[in-house]
Amino acid sequence: MRPKIKTAVITLVMLFTTLFTTVNSINAQTTSEKMYVKMEVDGLSCPFCVYGLEKKIKQIKSANDVVIELEAGEVTFNVLKEQELTKEKLQKIVKNAGFTAKEISFSEIPFKPTINE
Amino acid sequence: MNKLTIGILGLLLLFSCSENQEKTTQKEEQLIAWKFVKEIPLQNITPIGIVAQNNFLWLSDVDNNRVVKIDLNGKIIEEFNDFERPMHIAIQENKIYIPQYTSDTISVLEKGSISNLILNETVDGISGLAIDGDRMAIADFYNHRVILKKGQESISIGKEGHNDGELYYPTDVDIYDNKIYVADAYNNRVQVFDVEGNYVQMIGWNEDIHVATGIKVTANEVIVADFEGNRVLIYDINGKLLQTLSENFNHPTDIEVYDNKIYVTNYKGKSISVFEK
Repeated sequence: MRPKIKTAVITLVMLFTTLFTTVNSINAQTTSEKMYVKMEVDGLSCPFCVYGLEKKIKQIKSANDVVIELEAGEVTFNVLKEQELTKEKLQKIVKNAGFTAKEISFSEIPFKPTINE
Repeated sequence: MNKLTIGILGLLLLFSCSENQEKTTQKEEQLIAWKFVKEIPLQNITPIGIVAQNNFLWLSDVDNNRVVKIDLNGKIIEEFNDFERPMHIAIQENKIYIPQYTSDTISVLEKGSISNLILNETVDGISGLAIDGDRMAIADFYNHRVILKKGQESISIGKEGHNDGELYYPTDVDIYDNKIYVADAYNNRVQVFDVEGNYVQMIGWNEDIHVATGIKVTANEVIVADFEGNRVLIYDINGKLLQTLSENFNHPTDIEVYDNKIYVTNYKGKSISVFEK
């Protein structure tokens, strides 16, 4: 009876360990698959401009968490690395929305949000 | 000689009368000028569009992706969520027409239920619409045009540009007396077309409008919201400037006229400015 319990406990522990490792691995993979983007955009003045640019960025496949700070003229979002988004592609998207991208930065970690006082 | 004197005196009298009449007209205009009454604060609403209905106001709350019904003190009575950036709304009878800027759809809210209109045209950024009888005008922001629909038929008004009859990012539209009035936002003016799509006239081109964001047309007036200029301009129906309201705004977006009052939505101020004569 005892060896059976021992075997069951060991099996369960092994199962949980495998499950935990797998979930962690998936999470790590998801995070590392993301590319964070920050842009400074000239000419954002009215809500039609802001939400127009938001609309155009959302049309990029896998683009997520789009935040546009009207006052700061700053745009942040993330996208899967596999999209191979380049500065040139982004400049074109911003131009199609009616604006000019001044600076474009990429990062593997999220950008800190601009705090408006 | 006597006849000549009488003639001169007569002419002088005529000029004097004409001058007095002009002064009286100016006085009348001043007497009927719009005056600020109050500001209605809004509870966490960032308003773009406004329409009135039976002592209530409907607002599109673009930041929160919803449409709200408020009383005349700003208290929220009803709210409808899950729109995608609702912009300049319109009303006909009991139906509220809601253009959604991100999804390029028009929803119709009637007695608490929502349906969608099917558009045959390809649009990019529906920023505003107007309804008059069986006509619907749609401001198609990124295509720099207005679509005028009547039943199953539709025509396209304007194209990208800065000349007469050309548009540059139109944000709002109104229909009155078989004319289409367009807030030609980044051409800093209003343009008027007939229902065939022909250019009729331009309004406000020399008033240094910064962004013509919203428009409302009544029997006597064309009222324009200047978003960046923080003011509202009031013209007569022929485009003559009657009055400029330049205080008590914080980035105005739209105008409604109801019960002899003007209601102006303040996007950044999160409020409504009220004026009356």
